[in-house]
Amino acid sequence: MMLKSLKKRLNSFATKLFISLIIFFIIIALLLVSYFSKRFEELLYQQIGKYALVQAKEIAIIPNLISAVEQRDTKGINQFVSRLYANSDASFIVIGDSKGNHLFHTGNIQLYSPMMGGDNDAVLRGESIISIRKGTLGVSLRGKTPIINKNGEVVGIVSVGYLQHDIHLIYSEEFTPIIIIFICLTISVFAFSWFFSRRIKSQMLGLEPKEICRLAIQQEAILESIFEGVIAIDINYRITAINYAARSILGIKQSASMLTGVDLSSIIQTTNFLDTDSKTTDCKDEICQFNNIAVIASRTRIIINNQLQGWVISFRDKNDINSLNLQLSQVKNFADNLRVMRHESLNWMAMLAGLLHMKEYDKAISILEAKSLGSQRILDFISSRFQNHAVCGLLLGKYSRANELGLQLELDPACQLKEIPATLTEVMLISIMGNLLDNAFDAIMNLKEPQLISEHNRIELYISDETNELVIEVADQGVGIDPTIRDHLFERGITSKASDDHGIGLYLVSSYVQQAGGLITISDGDEGGAIFSIFIPK
Amino acid sequence: MTLPIDILIVEDEPILAGVHAEIIGQIPAFKAVAIASSLQEAKQLIPKLKPQLILLDNYLPDGKGIDLFQNIITLNLGCHVIFITAASDMQTCSDAIRLGAFDYIIKPISYERLKYSLSKFESFIKTQKNTTYLSQQKIDELFNLQRKDFRDKNKTKGIEEITLQSVQNLFITNPKKLYSAETVAIELGMSKTTVRRYLEYCIKIKFLTIQVSYGNVGRPERFYIKE
Repeated sequence: MMLKSLKKRLNSFATKLFISLIIFFIIIALLLVSYFSKRFEELLYQQIGKYALVQAKEIAIIPNLISAVEQRDTKGINQFVSRLYANSDASFIVIGDSKGNHLFHTGNIQLYSPMMGGDNDAVLRGESIISIRKGTLGVSLRGKTPIINKNGEVVGIVSVGYLQHDIHLIYSEEFTPIIIIFICLTISVFAFSWFFSRRIKSQMLGLEPKEICRLAIQQEAILESIFEGVIAIDINYRITAINYAARSILGIKQSASMLTGVDLSSIIQTTNFLDTDSKTTDCKDEICQFNNIAVIASRTRIIINNQLQGWVISFRDKNDINSLNLQLSQVKNFADNLRVMRHESLNWMAMLAGLLHMKEYDKAISILEAKSLGSQRILDFISSRFQNHAVCGLLLGKYSRANELGLQLELDPACQLKEIPATLTEVMLISIMGNLLDNAFDAIMNLKEPQLISEHNRIELYISDETNELVIEVADQGVGIDPTIRDHLFERGITSKASDDHGIGLYLVSSYVQQAGGLITISDGDEGGAIFSIFIPK
Repeated sequence: MTLPIDILIVEDEPILAGVHAEIIGQIPAFKAVAIASSLQEAKQLIPKLKPQLILLDNYLPDGKGIDLFQNIITLNLGCHVIFITAASDMQTCSDAIRLGAFDYIIKPISYERLKYSLSKFESFIKTQKNTTYLSQQKIDELFNLQRKDFRDKNKTKGIEEITLQSVQNLFITNPKKLYSAETVAIELGMSKTTVRRYLEYCIKIKFLTIQVSYGNVGRPERFYIKE
């Protein structure tokens, strides 16, 4: 387990970044140090060599020395050069004769012994040289120059030398600080890499680059696959992401990449959806207009480290939802009808069989005819009074539904609908009527006692466009309206029902009515219950 | 158009189809020319026989009558349909309304209702035949015959003179006073839903006008006033 987690840690992006930073730096530093040490050594040798030669040259032109060498006055040379040597930092100073034998050596070498190193030939020909040779005292760097008399003859050699050992001392003395600086740098790079990789890790929410990559691709796939339009914007209202559904709902032709960075207002004209509240609150399922398309939109803030970074806006075409609602309720209608039919026909078959068996033919006929009479009457009534097939369908469906619930849907004798007002669509009208009727049914079914339901089972519906208004009135004898929610009845999510999916019906009704410039009033019913009245100008 | 009117019966139950045929046989103006017991059969018979009227049952062994109805319309076969459907299948009925069925009859069939529908069709055909040029009045008449408002003789639907009078009296004795539907109901001891009907009728005949006021809690109220 430990090993595994260690391996995982070593494999993590931050650790890898840290290790590679360190290795990279060390390689660079080693290359630099080795180059500079080499170069430094070269320079040191060059400079010391030059320095040695200059000293040698200065010694070689001293007239006293020249004459002393000519006369082979070793004592004089000794006295004279020893004084020079005392003031010099050279490792040794050697004076030789024209044959390359020692006339003087600071290291107390036997006089007249040959000078070692075998580099005297060029000097005896009259040249000055710098060379590294193994001499009497060991390997050394020396500057050698001939001693030339007034006649231009080479009479001797001056050799000023620095032992390699001494040079190394200087080198290490000069180079140690560089090593120390290098070590300090390494430590600071180590620390920097550590914090840098940690910071990167925290900025990436502790995710590995592979994971981030997968998330990014996954996010794009999710965005494109959902049917809801999604737009993400930054704090300056510039688009950072937009999905296909959003573009298709809004009818935008440009691709998502073309829209990235574009100002939101250049593609969506909306009235105060992103208002001042948007900085402090989110909103959910608000009905509003995007480019004159009615949508149901939500807005969520993006907050990172307590700072607002932008918003995600998601929206659906409101009409899509309406048609879906409509389809759903139709499917439900079919299923309901089927149940009713089966149940009814079984009962009727049994009753008819009984009557026929007893030879009560007239009674059988009259019951049969009475059976269809009610439906025929309501059908004739509805089809003659309502000129819109969708409204007819809805009313017939609700009528059967009411029958099945044991309720009575009574249509006012003055009902009529010639034309839907221009401010409403068929879908809106259906939605208004359907929701009001469903609420009325529910209000009765919510009565506690079963016998109360059978007593108060009437729902009255009045629809008329006789005047210059369309009037819809639905009266029930149900539980009535809770006074505590009465003033907020048309707000979203307000419901007297226990389950969560309610509280939309009346909200939809009121927003449609408002949109059509209409009016809703609520009053208490004659025998309890509520009366919803809607007036929509034509 | 010639009499008798040819009728095709589309009904899969032979006994029921027989009864239909018998009822039709009792009316001199009609003649049942054939019985189709399936959609397939009906589709073959209609172009061949060109009936003027089809009694169309909705539930057939190989599909729904409503689909045949659509077929007749798309093929422009020029025959009228009396649609017959089960009592609880109101949804299909509403589709039939949309497609322009001449009439729709609920099963179990009341033969009185069927006879009434047939006589209505007869007069529809006669009017069509006798009208050489269509005046607007004739067109309206024809339209009304097809527009099944045969029950709708009473022009003031649900309005009784006495009740109307008492509503109007209230406003006449209190001119310029604002009444909501609720207060009228209380004053006259009527039900609130009935009151609405009468008040809206008064608006229609321009006896009353409407004023809307927005109450203190923002809940609007609607008042009726006699000026």
